[in-house]
Amino acid sequence: MAIAVEHLARTYSSDTGSLTAVADLSFEVRGGEIVGLIGPNGAGKTTTLRALAGILRPTSGRVFIDGHDIVADPLEAKRRLAFMPDEPHLFEYLTVTEHLRLVARLFGVADIDRRSAALLEELELRGKERSLPGELSRGMRQKVVIACGLVRDATTLLFDEPLTGLDPLGIRRMRETIVARGRAGAAILLSSHLLHLVEEICTRVIIMDRGQKIADGTFEELRSRVDLAEAGSNLEQIFLSVTGNNRAGQP
Amino acid sequence: MLGASLYVIVCSARNRLRMRLRRLREPRYLAGAVVGAAYLYFSFFGRLRGARSDRARAARARRRASPLGELPGLAVAAPVLGGMALLAAAALSWMAPFESGLLEFSEAETQFLLTAPITRRQLLLHRLLRSQIGMLFGAVIFGITVPSSSGYRRLSVGIATWLLLVTWKIYFAGVSLTKARMRAESGAPRAAAFVPAAIVVTAAALVAAALLRAFYIAPPAGLAGAAALVAGAAEQPVIRIVLWPFIALVRPLFAASTSGYVPAIAAALAVTAAVTVWMLRSDDAFHLAVDAAARRRSRRAPGRRPVSYRTRAEGWTLAPSGRPETAFAWKALMQTLRVFDRREAVRAVVVLTALTLITVATGREGPAALLGGFSMAAAGFAILMAPQVVRIDMRQDLEHLELLKTWPVRAASVVRGQLLWPTALITAFAWTMIAIAVALSGTLVPNVAWLSRVAAGVAVLILAPALVVAQLTVHNAVALMFPAWVPLGVQRARGVDAMGQRIILLGGTWLLLIVMAIPAALAGGLFWLAAARFFGTLMLMPAAAIAAVVIAIEVVAVTEALGPVYDRLDILAVERPE
Repeated sequence: MAIAVEHLARTYSSDTGSLTAVADLSFEVRGGEIVGLIGPNGAGKTTTLRALAGILRPTSGRVFIDGHDIVADPLEAKRRLAFMPDEPHLFEYLTVTEHLRLVARLFGVADIDRRSAALLEELELRGKERSLPGELSRGMRQKVVIACGLVRDATTLLFDEPLTGLDPLGIRRMRETIVARGRAGAAILLSSHLLHLVEEICTRVIIMDRGQKIADGTFEELRSRVDLAEAGSNLEQIFLSVTGNNRAGQP
Repeated sequence: MLGASLYVIVCSARNRLRMRLRRLREPRYLAGAVVGAAYLYFSFFGRLRGARSDRARAARARRRASPLGELPGLAVAAPVLGGMALLAAAALSWMAPFESGLLEFSEAETQFLLTAPITRRQLLLHRLLRSQIGMLFGAVIFGITVPSSSGYRRLSVGIATWLLLVTWKIYFAGVSLTKARMRAESGAPRAAAFVPAAIVVTAAALVAAALLRAFYIAPPAGLAGAAALVAGAAEQPVIRIVLWPFIALVRPLFAASTSGYVPAIAAALAVTAAVTVWMLRSDDAFHLAVDAAARRRSRRAPGRRPVSYRTRAEGWTLAPSGRPETAFAWKALMQTLRVFDRREAVRAVVVLTALTLITVATGREGPAALLGGFSMAAAGFAILMAPQVVRIDMRQDLEHLELLKTWPVRAASVVRGQLLWPTALITAFAWTMIAIAVALSGTLVPNVAWLSRVAAGVAVLILAPALVVAQLTVHNAVALMFPAWVPLGVQRARGVDAMGQRIILLGGTWLLLIVMAIPAALAGGLFWLAAARFFGTLMLMPAAAIAAVVIAIEVVAVTEALGPVYDRLDILAVERPE
């Protein structure tokens, strides 16, 4: 199993109290699967992805990437993982090419020049090789982050709102890229509010609300659920029904 | 609009205060608040009480009423000198590449106010009102620090300071607005925009010429003589006229009595009013100036100073394989190279080397001693203080923790990698300075034998990288263990509690450094005691080497111990800007 999440929980503490962002979450993603992680704002999607990426330590529960525990065996787990966050975090003093070289060095990627040239072409970053992040638009910076994730042969790809800031052509290219990686055998977990995108490219959907998994399955499985039979045939209707907002917009 | 501005200011201040009070529930902020309050008490209020003591009264009785009472000449010339300084700054502001912060609207102000049906002048007045809290705080602090026991004197100085700060702020905003007009207009309007600049620069040139003439005709003997000469030059009719608004602004600071203060503050108010009218009437290019300010702000992330990185030929391409530590060092090197101009660094080294060689070759003891002393001080500063200032390590990279955490790199390697480049950078500077100091040491300590001086110099050379890396290790350890206490990147938390936290952190860091230095000092010291009696000062070098090795072992051990700390580090524990 490429991704295995067992009873994951994460609580945030602050001076105003504590908040459970994710509670008792369990799921699995196989190689070749593209799983959409959807939910309303504050559902715990980003927290889940960050815990999977090793950025946040789970309060309890375990996360395995290709069988390696992200807490107990982080180096092996992270070698197999690529996380593309919604906010492009880049070093403002490194150029696009230097970001790729740094990632290649840290992840032990051979043949970086050929790979980066192909990726820069694929992501339409050609001509921006020597640009600093400050000289790039938000969409371009997002593409650099994605290039850094894709430049290595990760078996597990985590995307958090991957299309934020991209232009229409960029969105189409990104969609194709994600599907191609899935077909190549990568396990992909993708969080997005763009339900039509999720419906189009994902093979399975996990719906979260208030830190908990409230639905998990293929579209056919969700449509055939007894409690959702009345919801409708598309993902948006199912999502609204599952999250209890199905009355929104009705007179 | 005034009501809306006051509403924004009051709500912002109230919410900020609430937030700061609420965070006192956290022990780290509470401890910081206690220490910060104690520091403030002893710095300011303790000083107030001290000023009222009999001893202080007696000491003041020996002086004149003015703060510059010890130097009568200076006391008389103080308003003139202040006015001249203000005029120079006013003239320079037209040439300096800086722009007024008054035109930098926040994101929220841009969204809510620039889209609202509000006139440009109202917007400018809103920004001016918003800037008052900071200026009032500055004026209060200045008033408290005035060496006087009189509450009236503190209050009058505080008001005068506030008026000066406000006027300068308004003037600088006017300069930025006029500069925008200069860039935007053409023909007669553009020429008109140059008039205020021409007036101020001409005034500055007239004063400079008068001063130069006065100093050339009768060079003064001593500080008091120079002050008298300046005061005399300011009495010339034309100079009196051009200096009047500038002297009027600073005169209330030096007025010792109420009868002198009231007309002085009235004149200052008149100048402030005139400057305000000029600034508000220069608002034609308001949107251009605000756009330029917004672009400047967008180029820097929140909570940062405007650091501009420029791409240049790297000179070092990161190899595709190798130790991860070198990747971190390369990353930090790139950061440094993209802020500093390498050619300027090379130029500085060439100039320093040339100066050293010339002073040694010509045997001029004065310049040699000066340069040698400076180099020794610079080396000392680099070794003992630079690790606190140069933060190209985990203290800055906590900002990128979210990215770093996804890398498959051993935590201890991350920490060691973070230490490499700052150690190399500071050491290189310290070694340069030590080399110059050793070369010129004959003029500094002529009684010490040449061999001993070289031995001591080499010992410091050996010890320098160890001391630097030890300090950096402590600073990075503190950053990892108490990330919430460490200011992130270049941003600084505000408030008495945050100030107290910084004081506690500094004390803790120094304590840890001492603990870390003890084993090395013992090992090196014992060797020195045993060997020096047989082999003399030459044994300083192996003693330093022993101490350096002990420190290196400690650094490796500490970085290994920090590995699990880094692994457990939660990105939410890192302090965020307010």
